[in-house]
Amino acid sequence: MRKIISGNEAVALAVKLARVGVVGIYPITPQTTIIEELAEMKLRGEVSADVVRVESEHSAMGVTLGAAVSGVRAFTATSSQGLLYMHEMVWWAAGSRAPLVMVVATRAVGAPWNIWNENTDFMSERDSGWIMAFASSPQEALDLTIQAFRVSEDPRVFLPMMVGMDGFVLSHTKTNVYIPSQEDVDEFLPPRRQPYVIDPETQESMGNIFQPFDYMKLRHSIHESIESSQDVIREIGREYEKLNPLSDYKTLNVEYKLEDADYAVVTMGAWSLDAMEAVDRLRQEGVNVGLYRVRYIRPWATDEIMRALGDKKGVIVFDRATSLGRGGPLYLEMKATIDSPVKGVVTGLGGVSIGKKDFYHVISKSIEEFRFKSFREVEWYYPGEVKEVELGTPRSSI
Amino acid sequence: MSLALRDLRSKSLLPGTSACPGCPENMAMRMVGMALGNDVVMVVVAGCSSVIQGIGPKNAYGYPVLNIAFAAGSAAASGMWRALRQRNKDTTVVVWAGDGGTADIGFASLSGAAERNENFIYLCVDNEAYMNSGGQRSGSTPHGAVTSTTPEGKKENKKELLFLMLDHHIPYVATASVGYPHDLIDKLRRAKNIEGFRYIQVLTPDPYGWLFDPSRTAEVAKLAVQTCYWPLIEVSHDKVTVSNESLHCLKKETRRPLRDFTSLQGRYKRLSEQDFQELEKYVDYLWDRISKLMD
Ligand code: SF4
Repeated sequence: MRKIISGNEAVALAVKLARVGVVGIYPITPQTTIIEELAEMKLRGEVSADVVRVESEHSAMGVTLGAAVSGVRAFTATSSQGLLYMHEMVWWAAGSRAPLVMVVATRAVGAPWNIWNENTDFMSERDSGWIMAFASSPQEALDLTIQAFRVSEDPRVFLPMMVGMDGFVLSHTKTNVYIPSQEDVDEFLPPRRQPYVIDPETQESMGNIFQPFDYMKLRHSIHESIESSQDVIREIGREYEKLNPLSDYKTLNVEYKLEDADYAVVTMGAWSLDAMEAVDRLRQEGVNVGLYRVRYIRPWATDEIMRALGDKKGVIVFDRATSLGRGGPLYLEMKATIDSPVKGVVTGLGGVSIGKKDFYHVISKSIEEFRFKSFREVEWYYPGEVKEVELGTPRSSI
Repeated sequence: MSLALRDLRSKSLLPGTSACPGCPENMAMRMVGMALGNDVVMVVVAGCSSVIQGIGPKNAYGYPVLNIAFAAGSAAASGMWRALRQRNKDTTVVVWAGDGGTADIGFASLSGAAERNENFIYLCVDNEAYMNSGGQRSGSTPHGAVTSTTPEGKKENKKELLFLMLDHHIPYVATASVGYPHDLIDKLRRAKNIEGFRYIQVLTPDPYGWLFDPSRTAEVAKLAVQTCYWPLIEVSHDKVTVSNESLHCLKKETRRPLRDFTSLQGRYKRLSEQDFQELEKYVDYLWDRISKLMD
């Protein structure tokens, strides 16, 4: 079935189709309409899930984790400050090897207040031990959320999974979305599997003190599981194509006109489509450039990336996120993966709007720089007239 | 009701915990086992009990335990009982938290879960300071007590969780002391058969933070009740019951002198006359409010 729906509605539908048992909910823009939709579905009797209206994001993950370890499929969603407030529990979920799913509709982090799109909230959890995918359309948000339950509950993985999508740009924008049937999803998602269940029958306990060696081995095993989850994700992705024949999840990340390209652009999320249009235009002008869209931050698809980008004369990485003092996180990851020259462009923060013209401008300029071997490693790009950056903290005078 | 404790076997506590000698939390844990039987799962937040369980992957608690971050106990238990209900299990979920995890860092999630009337028992083992990290003051530390962060003696009064929890309109609120096992076991058993949020705060005098001889834990726990510093009370669906052991506290004249409680403990070594009066005023306030509840 097809429907014109927003990214948040798509996620709520995915949660319904996955027959989730417990949902911990707490409002924060721009994620809120996901949980509102779930509460409505509950009222209409369309989901049997227990919807728990908690008093903070810390507790939203607490409820979700408590339900997950006690044997049911569990879900929550958040953004920005909410994710940061939840941070401790995000790590606790991964350390507990609890299969569960969270969607993050991304948003800038304060101070100062800013509710618009930026991916820094999502990216700041990349060390926490979760599987992390990022959508580029409402369709992908739905597909990845359904797949997330399967990946997370696969015995070769047994880790929580986070699906990101650009706040407002995807969360609130309606597009044509293909919704798989309940029968297909039921077949795709086997009954819940998890490493242990806390109930009187199993007699298992989790999380008391571990000695240094044993603790380190547990961290190591999470690392290994994330690494080896690549094959699992590709396998599950191929299987998902039965549910949505138009989808392509054979690979973790997505290539566009890359094979014969000398130069490559790297993006993540919704603006990839604008960047693709810029690539098309540059191609028409005879510039040999292609695009690489990162869909998975964890696992990091080192082999796929080396094959796709290892021999390029220059790679331009766009980050809608920062690792302040070091540029953008995607740029840092890329630089640690390939030997080709890599330039990082930080832009689009706090809702700064970046269009295909901006991509066209930055990409063509950067390719020139690569040609003359004079590229700046990290550039902060402002669209339009704002070319100068005032340093120091702006504040209103008293 | 009379009850032979020796006959009440439960697997709550296996031999070989890492608790200090004379540990009041171990006493409380044994009583939980006696009262609730075996169909129990526990959520334990950061505190002495995270350590008492011993070194993983083994565990000296016989109950299945989810250990969790300091502020998350009530939230995790909320998810847990709902999951167990969905799986058609009639299991008692218990949160076990110290006074820091209850009065301070965990209070938001405790209050949220109580307001939602989540279906579990919240057990606060109150040793009146952050004992697991070396005895720092908490919101539950009484006036005048020397702790490692109040070497001058605490200047503020104890946060009164009993009344705070009553204001959440939950079906069951009670206090108990490890000095009176039958009372605690009775209360736990009644709580087990009530649906909704149940809050029980157990006084667990800690030899190492309160500075008394570890052989006297039960004695100090009794003195706290006899001197009326600690009430044994139960409020079940608005019905207020003061336990027999505490009935004499309702009248000021029949209370045992508070000095009998404070003089045994090193933590009150800096207690000035003024501090002592402040403590006495606290006891008066406590029983005034309790008397009003009974009206
Ligand atoms: S410090 Fe006190 S509560 Fe903690 S284990 Fe030792 S005796 Fe028990």
